[in-house]
Amino acid sequence: MAVATHAAARRGTRLALPRMLRQSLLHRRSRSLSALLAMTVSAAVATALLTLYSDLDAKLHREFRGFGANVVVAGAANRPGDALPPDAAARVQTAAGADATVAPFAYAVATTDRGTPVVVAGMDVDATRRLNTWWKVDAWPGAASAEAVLGQKAANFVADEHAVKLTFAGRSISLRGVGRLRTGGDEDSRIYLPMSAFTAWTGVGPGAVEVQVPGGAAKVEAAVTRMRSALPGLSVNPVRALVEGENRIVDRTRALMFGSVVLIALTVGVSVLATMSASVLERRRDFALMRALGGSQGQLLQMFLLEALLLAGAGVVAGWIVGSAAAWVISEANFDTATLPRLAVVPPVLLLNLVIAAIASVLPARVLRGLEPAALLKGE
Amino acid sequence: MFFRLLWESFRRQRRRKLLAGVAILLGATAVTAMLALATTIGDRIHRELAVYGANIVITPAAAGLDVNVGGVDLRPATANAYLKESDLDKLRGIFWANNITGVSPELDLSGMMLKVAPMDTLGYGPSAVWHVGDPRMDGSEAVPVTGVGYWFARPFGNLTTGAPQLHPWWKITGRWPGDHEVRSTHAEEAEEIAIGATLARRFGLHIGDWIHMGTEFEGDIVGIVTAGDATDERILFPLDATVMGSPVDAAGHGGVPESSAVSRVEISARTRPEDTFARKDPETLSPSQREIWYCRPYANSIAFQIREAIPGADAQQVRRVEQSEGNVLKRISGLMWLVSAAALVAAGFAVSAAMATAILERQGEIGLLRSLGASRTAVAALFLAETAVLAVVAGLFGFLCGSGLAAWLGRRLFPTDAAGAVFNPVLLPVVIGLALAVAAAGSTPAIRQALKLEPSAVLRAGA
Repeated sequence: MAVATHAAARRGTRLALPRMLRQSLLHRRSRSLSALLAMTVSAAVATALLTLYSDLDAKLHREFRGFGANVVVAGAANRPGDALPPDAAARVQTAAGADATVAPFAYAVATTDRGTPVVVAGMDVDATRRLNTWWKVDAWPGAASAEAVLGQKAANFVADEHAVKLTFAGRSISLRGVGRLRTGGDEDSRIYLPMSAFTAWTGVGPGAVEVQVPGGAAKVEAAVTRMRSALPGLSVNPVRALVEGENRIVDRTRALMFGSVVLIALTVGVSVLATMSASVLERRRDFALMRALGGSQGQLLQMFLLEALLLAGAGVVAGWIVGSAAAWVISEANFDTATLPRLAVVPPVLLLNLVIAAIASVLPARVLRGLEPAALLKGE
Repeated sequence: MFFRLLWESFRRQRRRKLLAGVAILLGATAVTAMLALATTIGDRIHRELAVYGANIVITPAAAGLDVNVGGVDLRPATANAYLKESDLDKLRGIFWANNITGVSPELDLSGMMLKVAPMDTLGYGPSAVWHVGDPRMDGSEAVPVTGVGYWFARPFGNLTTGAPQLHPWWKITGRWPGDHEVRSTHAEEAEEIAIGATLARRFGLHIGDWIHMGTEFEGDIVGIVTAGDATDERILFPLDATVMGSPVDAAGHGGVPESSAVSRVEISARTRPEDTFARKDPETLSPSQREIWYCRPYANSIAFQIREAIPGADAQQVRRVEQSEGNVLKRISGLMWLVSAAALVAAGFAVSAAMATAILERQGEIGLLRSLGASRTAVAALFLAETAVLAVVAGLFGFLCGSGLAAWLGRRLFPTDAAGAVFNPVLLPVVIGLALAVAAAGSTPAIRQALKLEPSAVLRAGA
């Protein structure tokens, strides 16, 4: 008879598992909610940090674009005064890739109306604007105009800043000065005008092409190799200080973020573990009752586990939404660009939550095993 | 009685307390480490960004226009204006003197260099000759080579600074020349110099060779510099030895060099990223506003103070470095602060949840205490005292662990850093306070809930 009861109980348990699970979750609603909340927090934190982390490189590299060109192409003698082949800029663009910013510059030494020699440079206005964001310019000259910007030092060496008269090889030109240029570098001593006006006046073509290859050192090196093979006879030099510094800072920031991710995941993980395992321990009486009704240790563990995994799964869904929103807000606040939600972070987040849930339900089982159902039910 | 209850609670429920304690400890560790890193990240990244070189440059205000393309000076040789090297000491007296982390003066001299056949018979002779303004070299095979006087490792206040510090991307084979080191190996006076890699290749020069400089000096090559820019084609010599660059006349006699002249000074300073206020012209501000502008470490304010301190100097921020550096600095430290805030919220939430659970578990105990005649206040006081003890102890250990972790991470990630203080005492009260607040926030609602229940019902249910 005992065998029959046992078998019936077993069959009953098997049939009733989903029902028991549902009842267990619904009956102790506040307990289930707090466990779900804990799992949601852990999933949200992991999602937010992983989403930020996976986008960090691109975001940081974009910040470094402010430093301008990281590769300079010049003639074989590496003197920007020597003219390059006329199609050099186009070939550099092809070799460097469509996402690179390419700005050709031409240089000549002209004489101002006060008789001072001054470096005059021709530039591609649009490309220069994109490349040299640190230039402080009152107004940019029109792309094909006879207008010029004057470096803040050079401006002191012309008679009239608004009608700049320059002479190069006996040919003079009159440019409309549209404003001053302030950089704190060599540019302060130069006068910049659009390339078309410069070439028409001096007959000198581009002498240097400044290139900004987006991305880290590896991408820059690859682009340099491509440019060297596409432009034989020219010197292609990475601006080493920029490339190395950028990589080092991005690497370190990423490592710092990684450390933070691990640390925070650990903290939240342990707290969730404490919450979840307490919720299992609290149900000693249910456990004892089920044991007394003939449930086996394994079956009960299975049920706890299933319940915890269900909560963990639900936590990942809610946490992914909350975490992606948090990552979006952080990135919007700090980098002024959004970080889009990533589905790729779901597997690691799910894994983390499942591991926490599994440990949280298995850990107390050791404690439960030692308990005598009868003693527990009697209230001892 | 109260203290005995408190003591017994910790003694008997070790496992339960341990789990809640570990949660607080880890939370405090994470928060301490993140805050410690976030407060120092600015300085660290600034030091990393030093690879981009100076962010302020001083030139003589009266200087003629630079005619310079790609590091090649195309200016006709005319008299130029210089700064006095001795004036640099005045930098130590400006308001933000302590923010100056590097100073590198330089003196450019355009000379001509000529390869010399080795003097085999004597077994000792120069490998090349470099003279400034020597008319005898016109029409010879000599090529124009710029020589630059630098500081190499000069004590400046409590800094040791110079060109290698301001240009960390310069790579040296051999070693940097020593400042102040005049050795007399042969009949002539000698100074240590370094030369650029391209120049060394072009003239076939090696470490150990020497160059005849000025009239009576030998420059012993002790290092070869690879910089990736125009420096690769230059001679670098100690600024003290500018006598080596004194002009040589047609008769081979040396002129008297400009004493302690400097054509340019590069400054690396810790600055605050520029905002709208920083861009204002100080002359247009009211006196009180001007005072505020002056006392903020903007690159513009520091440059302004340098112009005030050194007569005849023009100091400008190097916008390429300063603007972008400020941006990168702002983003990275902003990121650290936001992540710290996220860590704080998450840790706070998780820890208070763990604390709430720890209390709810003990409803039976509360019921027992109540039925034995303890007042609600007494029970609440007991549980809150437990929470407080746990928070303070775990928070303290968390602070220690977190400080250690931050120091370790800092050293691993930024090995160039000078070892700073491991413990930031300001963080201790902050972290303990946060631990107390979070633990109390977690346990108070749980205690209140437990106290609301009838003791008999709790005891029956919890039996």
